[in-house]
Amino acid sequence: MEDDPEKLDQHVEDLLQDRRPERVPLPDQDALLARQTAAMLRSAKPGAGLPSQEFLQRMQRSVDGWVRARASESEPHPGFSRRSLILSGLSGIAAGLLAALGVEKLTQKPAPRPMDLVIKGDWKNVMALSAVPPDRPVRFTSGAVEGYLIREGDTVRALSAICTHMGCALNWSTLRTQFECPCHGATFELDGSASLEYEAKGLRRLPALRVRVQGGQVQVYSV
Amino acid sequence: MLEDDARQGNPGQRPAQLVHLRRAAPQDQDRLVWAYQTQVTAIYQYLYARVGNRPDAEDLTAQVFMKAIQGMRQDVSVAELRSWLYKVAQTTLADHWRQYYAEDLTELGEDVAPPPPSRENHEAVPRVEALLATLPDSYRRVLELRFLRGYSVRETAHELGLTETNVKVLQFRALNRAGRERKGN
Repeated sequence: MEDDPEKLDQHVEDLLQDRRPERVPLPDQDALLARQTAAMLRSAKPGAGLPSQEFLQRMQRSVDGWVRARASESEPHPGFSRRSLILSGLSGIAAGLLAALGVEKLTQKPAPRPMDLVIKGDWKNVMALSAVPPDRPVRFTSGAVEGYLIREGDTVRALSAICTHMGCALNWSTLRTQFECPCHGATFELDGSASLEYEAKGLRRLPALRVRVQGGQVQVYSV
Repeated sequence: MLEDDARQGNPGQRPAQLVHLRRAAPQDQDRLVWAYQTQVTAIYQYLYARVGNRPDAEDLTAQVFMKAIQGMRQDVSVAELRSWLYKVAQTTLADHWRQYYAEDLTELGEDVAPPPPSRENHEAVPRVEALLATLPDSYRRVLELRFLRGYSVRETAHELGLTETNVKVLQFRALNRAGRERKGN
């Protein structure tokens, strides 16, 4: 099943006609790279690559449905914003309305935990506990999550490594013992809070990630 | 959006109260919908530039937003949402390509390395120009005719004075060479 000019041209023709190419297993990485390159070339043709109005309308309906489905689930760790919504003088509204919005249960919950970034995912191995240095945070990537592991004796905490300002990836400065943003200079403390000057400007703290140690492996709750 | 939700769940409520509620909660559900509206075209373009056809780009875009909406907290900043969407797009793409070729692709720099999250412009054209500039003339020519000008194999053969079989062979070699070129960078 070696790759050949005919098979590759069939794939190219499909791209040029904006059809979905057949998903046939490929013999080697060169064959994959050739098709990925064809995709990139295809997208550079004038007029290519913009979503159609019809697709956008379909997506809008799907998004509405997903958001609605999500709102009707109760979340494991309620955040602040819904509570403040409830506390800001809306108690007179019928309970049925709150139920419709999926917030009824939250009114009875105690104070929220620190924010977790991921609320629906899987536990994924990140690295061995022994590989986490005792004296400084270490960067990791797990699925869609970019974070830092911070060792505290035999346990580990994890923070998102994405700046809450504009979404740049943070660096750890051993010299100044803080997280620093390469884009606009925001800084965060080891506990994830924005440094005072930035907190005063309204920068939010770094979300926590759920983390656990299983059989010497650090696992992060990730998607 | 929120108004429609509430109205469907509670046909008896008066709209005035619902408008008030919407103002009181600018984040949460509204934020997700807003994030979708501001990011959908950029994510679609990002994916289209990597799969090169509309049906796959549409399916993958839908998957990315479904995962993001179901999996992420609602009360994070828009910048974080954007970073998150690109990360989800990358992992979704990696899964997509695994249907063709089951090896770990993490070494494939361009397609899985994090893009600068704040740059939303369609980046395909300069990338393609830079790539074509690395190729021998005959390779560049066949790719330009086929992909950028949309010539058929027959038209390309006529233009280059080759047989159709030769055009396919030349195209094959050009794409393989360009693919290795991209991987090397």
